Amino acid sequence: MKNKLQIRIVISLLLLIGVGTTIYKVKVLGFSLSPETRETVWTVEAVITFEAEGGPVRVQLNSPDNRGGLEAIDTKAVANEGYRYAVEEVDGVKRAVWTTDRAQGPQKIYYQLNIYRRGSAGEGGTQPPALPAAGAFSGPLEVAASALVKQAAAEGATPVDQAKALLRLLNSPGLNDNAALLLEKAKASEGTLALARNLLAVAGIPARVMKGISLNSDKKKQKIRGYIEIYDGSSWVLLDPKTAEAMSDDAFLLWQKGDESLLEVEGGHGSKIRFSVVSSRVMANKAAIGAGLHQGSVLVDFSIYTLPLADQNTFKLLLLIPFGALVVVVLRNLVGIRTSGTFMPILIALTFLQTTLLAGLFLFIVIVGIGLLLRSYLSRLNLLLVPRISAVLVFVIFIFLAVSVTSHKLGSDFGLTVTYFPMIIISWTIERMCILWEEEGPKEVLVQGGGSLFTASLVYLLLKNKFIAHLTYSFPELLLVLLAVILTIGSYSGYRLTELRRFEPMAAED
Amino acid sequence: MFLARPSQLVKAGIVGMNMRNVRLIAENNPRHLYPRVDDKLKTKLLAREAGIAVPRLYGVVRFQHHVRRLHDFLGRFDGFVMKPSKGSGGKGILVVTGRDGDLYVKPSGARITETDVRRHASNTLSGLFSLGGKPDVAMIEELVDFSDVFDGFSFEGVPDIRVIVYKGFPMMAMTRLSTRASDGKANLHQGAVGVGIDIGSGRALKAVQNGRPIERHPDTGKELASFFVPDWRRFLELAARCYEVTELGYLGADIVLDRVKGPQILELNARPGLAIQVANGAGMQPRIDAIEEVVGRGYGYKERVEFSMQAFGAL
Repeated sequence: MKNKLQIRIVISLLLLIGVGTTIYKVKVLGFSLSPETRETVWTVEAVITFEAEGGPVRVQLNSPDNRGGLEAIDTKAVANEGYRYAVEEVDGVKRAVWTTDRAQGPQKIYYQLNIYRRGSAGEGGTQPPALPAAGAFSGPLEVAASALVKQAAAEGATPVDQAKALLRLLNSPGLNDNAALLLEKAKASEGTLALARNLLAVAGIPARVMKGISLNSDKKKQKIRGYIEIYDGSSWVLLDPKTAEAMSDDAFLLWQKGDESLLEVEGGHGSKIRFSVVSSRVMANKAAIGAGLHQGSVLVDFSIYTLPLADQNTFKLLLLIPFGALVVVVLRNLVGIRTSGTFMPILIALTFLQTTLLAGLFLFIVIVGIGLLLRSYLSRLNLLLVPRISAVLVFVIFIFLAVSVTSHKLGSDFGLTVTYFPMIIISWTIERMCILWEEEGPKEVLVQGGGSLFTASLVYLLLKNKFIAHLTYSFPELLLVLLAVILTIGSYSGYRLTELRRFEPMAAED
Repeated sequence: MFLARPSQLVKAGIVGMNMRNVRLIAENNPRHLYPRVDDKLKTKLLAREAGIAVPRLYGVVRFQHHVRRLHDFLGRFDGFVMKPSKGSGGKGILVVTGRDGDLYVKPSGARITETDVRRHASNTLSGLFSLGGKPDVAMIEELVDFSDVFDGFSFEGVPDIRVIVYKGFPMMAMTRLSTRASDGKANLHQGAVGVGIDIGSGRALKAVQNGRPIERHPDTGKELASFFVPDWRRFLELAARCYEVTELGYLGADIVLDRVKGPQILELNARPGLAIQVANGAGMQPRIDAIEEVVGRGYGYKERVEFSMQAFGAL
């Protein structure tokens, strides 16, 4: 009983860790359980050009902020030779910094980001800022401002409608003298966006200036543009000052918040920055893995995703093998199917991956059939075990050769796949089946041979299953769940399915 | 109905394969005790030491240089049986019933030469008949002088009695009778007849072939209900004593009946199968439960046999 308790505890722990990690990866890291889920990934490239003046150069670029669930998968910075690249944090703002000791003439720096969205858009949790102190306007401007705000308030009831109305008024200075006056002043000082923000403050609506690029635009070339974001009492709404409409912010990459500077070049002049955006659809988990690696998430960083691609592919297959073992366990201990050799069906299933199912089944039966015929002759010679198996191995090679050549001569190359069969395993299978034939009779050979092929076919279908391949590769921790299931079956003492048949004549009436 | 419901089997007290492996074998038969039964030489020496009746051991061929002296050694005996100590599936058993000059006579009447016997011993040593081809030794033992009480019950050979012993208590018994369909082998799933034997009396309870009840032996026509083991208590005592020797809680004892010496242990098995339930038309679980209740009382083998005969006897 103590044993039983221990097994239960171990099983519960395994389930807890396996399922828990999986849920964490889905909910927090953005992995998807379905292999079909695709995410849009935007590749944003910023090109900085300037004329260096011959001395040391220092270029600073404001990094985009994570906003509305947008997340960087990776960043790449390519600059002329001699530049050092670093990410520095100044006043809580991340900035990409390139420095060099000496540069002369035209310089070009590329900064590339892969961005994707995780979770829903919308910025939660940010509290509205305090309204800027009154006094942004004075004298005649104050009168014009309050007149404009009043006009806007008459057009809309909600903060969003009021803000839209205000932006519309500012967009048509020809029709409105107040707007024209304010705009004229603003152009000389802080700019129109700051004006809009200040006007909204007068109207009692918290607002801020955001600069960034719209990822959903069809245009490849993009300029960084300014937007107004207002707080409508519960959440932030992004408004396009040009159209005076709310824009969907799920594809807005915020590059500059408030008064941060976008680009600073020391030791150069004539600096320019251009942006371009390309979008693509990528498997959800690939994006999640990229983001995880970028952020240094331990679960992703310490996993197979950091291995070279070729090894990852090996592991993709290796991670599936335990599922094959599970099929064998279920078929043997719950159903009661007898197989020749415990894990031989798994190896045969791996072969089927190369030969395809039907051809594999056909070839297996041919090889083992001929092998049994030849091996039955060896029985009469009373050979010792190792020489006997070795002789069978030689037979197997001959059979491989014969099948390949015959098939090739007949004009089909399907027989050539015969070489994928593991010859040692096949030799042992033939040996075991032959002994079985002698000791238990041909019926048992058919039962176990059929059982093996049935199991192998099921394992094959499982290995081919995209969904399971996706699960094991994306969530290797599910192997712990699998282990828990295997342990559970390991301590299962109930009847097997075949025993319901075997002992059927003895069933009691109930 | 084609399939039984699990609840029906539980009610009938049937023990399934998983139950046998997890409960009966894993919990009662520690791995390190297996060699005591898997190695027949070890079994025989242990049994001899404990005074349990087994066919007498004449000698053991352990090394190749023993093989050369084999013919001289065998000169003393008319009949003998040579078998591998760790053989599997009854392979490699050479039975010699008599001599014809320098030749050895097999039960079929065929004669083999000294060289044949030597080669057989040599093959045994190199592991030809053992599981996995492991090197082995050849045991030479006394030929059992089979009693004729079981004549006509088997198509070929002489049947042995299988008694399952649970924690020292004889729990269930049967005999397996070879048929033409089973090719002379005593394997139930190959078509041999299984006859359940009443623990209380040694009489046949019922007979099955391929899971279906039958009345008469399909080849010899003998009425199976007349199968009866004489001196039954001695059989059970012999089986029960094997528990002290092997310390295996779930044990199968195969017993043969010698005309003069009475019942003899032929082989022991640490993983006896479940077909015995079909042959008996009864499940083992109720008997296991009954034994568990008295297992702590420190019974000797005689008391255990008495308990079993009282508790499990049907007639």
